Formats: sequence, structure tokens, C-alpha cells
Amino acid sequence: MIKVMLSLVLLVALQIATPSAQAAELKEAGDIPTPALKLETLKGETIDLKDFEGKVVLVQFWATYCTPCRKEMPSMNNLIKKLEATKTPFKILAVNMGESKEEIQKFVDIVKPEFTIMMDTQGENVQAWNVFAAPSNFVINPKGKIRYTLFGGVDWDSDEMVEKLKALADEPESSVADDSDKAK
Amino acid sequence: MKHFFQKLDFSHNAKSYLSYLLIGLLLSSYNLYAEDVSAKPSPAVETITADDETDIDVRVFKADGKQLLIGFACDQGSSVAEEKTAQSLAMDGIEVWMPDMLSAYMLPKVRSSLKEIPTNGLFNIIKKAKQTHKKVYLVASGPDTDLILRVAKKWEESHQESKLGGIILMFPRLNKHKPEPGKAPEYQDSVGKTTLPIMVLEGERTPNRWGLGHLTKALEKGGSTVYAKLIPDVRGYFFKRNDPNVPEDLVTSQLPGLIKASLFFLGRAH
Repeated sequence: MIKVMLSLVLLVALQIATPSAQAAELKEAGDIPTPALKLETLKGETIDLKDFEGKVVLVQFWATYCTPCRKEMPSMNNLIKKLEATKTPFKILAVNMGESKEEIQKFVDIVKPEFTIMMDTQGENVQAWNVFAAPSNFVINPKGKIRYTLFGGVDWDSDEMVEKLKALADEPESSVADDSDKAK
Repeated sequence: MKHFFQKLDFSHNAKSYLSYLLIGLLLSSYNLYAEDVSAKPSPAVETITADDETDIDVRVFKADGKQLLIGFACDQGSSVAEEKTAQSLAMDGIEVWMPDMLSAYMLPKVRSSLKEIPTNGLFNIIKKAKQTHKKVYLVASGPDTDLILRVAKKWEESHQESKLGGIILMFPRLNKHKPEPGKAPEYQDSVGKTTLPIMVLEGERTPNRWGLGHLTKALEKGGSTVYAKLIPDVRGYFFKRNDPNVPEDLVTSQLPGLIKASLFFLGRAH
């Protein structure tokens, strides 16, 4: 009987532990080069990733049919607010993967993302950035280098995430080189 | 409906007459669907013994035509859409065999079970199918596609004189690892090992569509002629979903037509 009870406790503990153990995490990007990214936004402006040098930039490839994308967008709104409060220079560029303006607008009206939506209608940037799943995230340091990647949905406004992005904004150039060497 | 056909992406520059053929095939299937499905004959169940003495129940939808499709190997034939598709194909002359591999090997309905199914398990089913003197094709969806590719490779290695007609991969999920942004996917070992012609069908509303070109090239490495078609306005596994939208319901009703069109393309590759 005790064995059965212990097994049950262990099972419950495992079930509780599993989600956090499987949660998506930022991964050191190593030597991935930063492709160009210049696209029209949903509002009709043309935006270039290069314009945001000096800021930490989160480039996210997403789609309206991607459930984790929809789920995590409120936490991305919160992340912006949290980093603004700490005066961390930060920008989110959310690149839609090949959908129509109408489809995206319908989604935006419901989910209300407070960040820049870029439209890769032909999927050329999806290909150039080697994106094969959604959401695919690239965190770029103020020098324009991809420092982290992350696949899957995540709570972007978690304390851990905020601290990591804040640290990236303050990161000296030399530590980037050191970390890249480690990744090799 | 017109929009549907305009958006089909024919990677091999299919001629316009093929589009008309597709329309014809799909419309004929649609009409069949309008009939009372309960009036269609139930499949016979044949038990085929594998070399390892495992008894495999195969649901056979008999037909008079010259093509035989072995498919949906790991779905246990329980999906309503697949059953209807098989019935409809049989009424159009394409015989369908649906082996219940999971029950035969007493495996749970989980993805990891696929690795446990021995390729030899399907061999005697293919041998028996070959005895009908019909052209035999394999079809699978999702992660089951790995099993089909493994089987095709092994069959080719050991039965060079008795070629299969080709393979249909519906929404193949053949990545070896979790996707990594910025890196090209690495595929299962079964990819790029067969010379058989392959048709890949993928939904437009899934990020996997962006890997279609990459996967096609990987499959071609074995010497296969690979056709890749994007099905507009549907998500992956659309015919297995509990929450289908209108286009997904429509395309599900047209599955027999999609399969017939796929068989037509595979036939052209020889």
C-alpha cells in the first residue's frame, strides 16, 4: 500500500515537474549570421532591422494559425513594459509568415499586439532566416548579432527572461566574442 | 472551388490539362460523397501473418481496378474520414488495404510506438498485395511517414524485381529533432533512401510548408522523383482534427480525389 501511495506521489510530482522541464528556453545562437530584414509593416511603413542597432531586438516569426504564437503575445506586450521601466533599449519585430494583410489584421484586432508586425508575404525572409517552425525567435544584441534563439511559446515577461534581455543590453562586446567561442 | 485549384502549387510545372484532370477527379469524388456512405460495402478483414509470426489484421476495401493502396498503417483504420476515403476510392476502382499494425504488435497509440513496428511486419502484407497483380502504392500521414519510408527502402533492397508504384506522404513529420531557429532541419534516417516516386501533400496553414522545398530535396537524394503540393487553407492533419474549419471539411470530403490525383502523378514518374 505504501509503495502504491509513493508511486502516486511520484507520478503527481513528475506531472507537475514536466511542464517546466520542457519549457522553451533561450539557446546560445553560436555563429548564426544575421540575415537582412527589411519589410513593410502592417501599418504600411518599411522597416529595416539595421535601424535598430543599439537596441536589443526580438525578431519573431509567427503565424495567425499558430496557437503558441497567439498565447504568448500578451506576455510580449508585458515584456515591452517591463523593459521600458528599466530603460532597456528594446524592440520587437514580429514577422508574419506569408499570410494576407486581411488575415493578419483580423488577428491583430483580437489579440492586440503592441509591437511592430512585419509582413513577409512571399516568405522570402522566412527562408533566408532558416525558419521551419513557429514561433521561431531570434534575440539580437545591440551590435546586430543573433545571440539567442528560441523555438516554441514562452512567457516572455518572466523575471528570468527580463533579466536576460536586460543583461544583453549591457553586454560588453568582448563577452559576446567569448561566448561565441564557447559555443563552438 | 476555383480558388482552391488556382492555389495548388505544382512544383513540377504540371501542364494545364492536369489541372482539368484534377478538377474532374475531385468533382467525381465529391459526387460520391454526396451518396449515402452507409450504402457502401463494409471492408473484409484479412489476417496476414508476418515472418515473426505476428498476425496482422488488414481491412480490405476490394476494387476491380489496377491500383492497390496500402495505407494509414498506424491509425487502426478508426478515423471516419479515412474509412470514407477508402470506401470512396474502392468504388472508383482503387483497392485499399488498411493494416492495423499497432494492435498487431500490441503497441499503444503514441508516436514512439512507430519505432517499435518492425519493417518486416509490413513485408508479407506487401507480398500478399503483390499477388493481386495490381500496382501497389504506400500512403501515410504525419510521423507514420517514417515507417512507410523505412519499409519502402527495405523492400527495394530485397525485392528489386518487384517494384512498388510509389509513396504518398501526407503532412510528413520527419524531423529528427526539435526545430532550431536559424538551422536547417535534420531528417530521420529513412529520408532520401528510396528511389520510388514520392508525392508530398502539405497544408498551407502550417509552418511546415516552409520546409517543403528542403524536405523535397532531401527525399530526392535517394533518386526519387518527388512531387510536392501545397493544399490551400488547411492545417496539417486536417482530416483528423476535432475542430475542422470550412475549408478543412471541404478538403476532407475531397481526400479521395487528392489521392487519385497523387496516384496519377506517381504513375507519370515511371
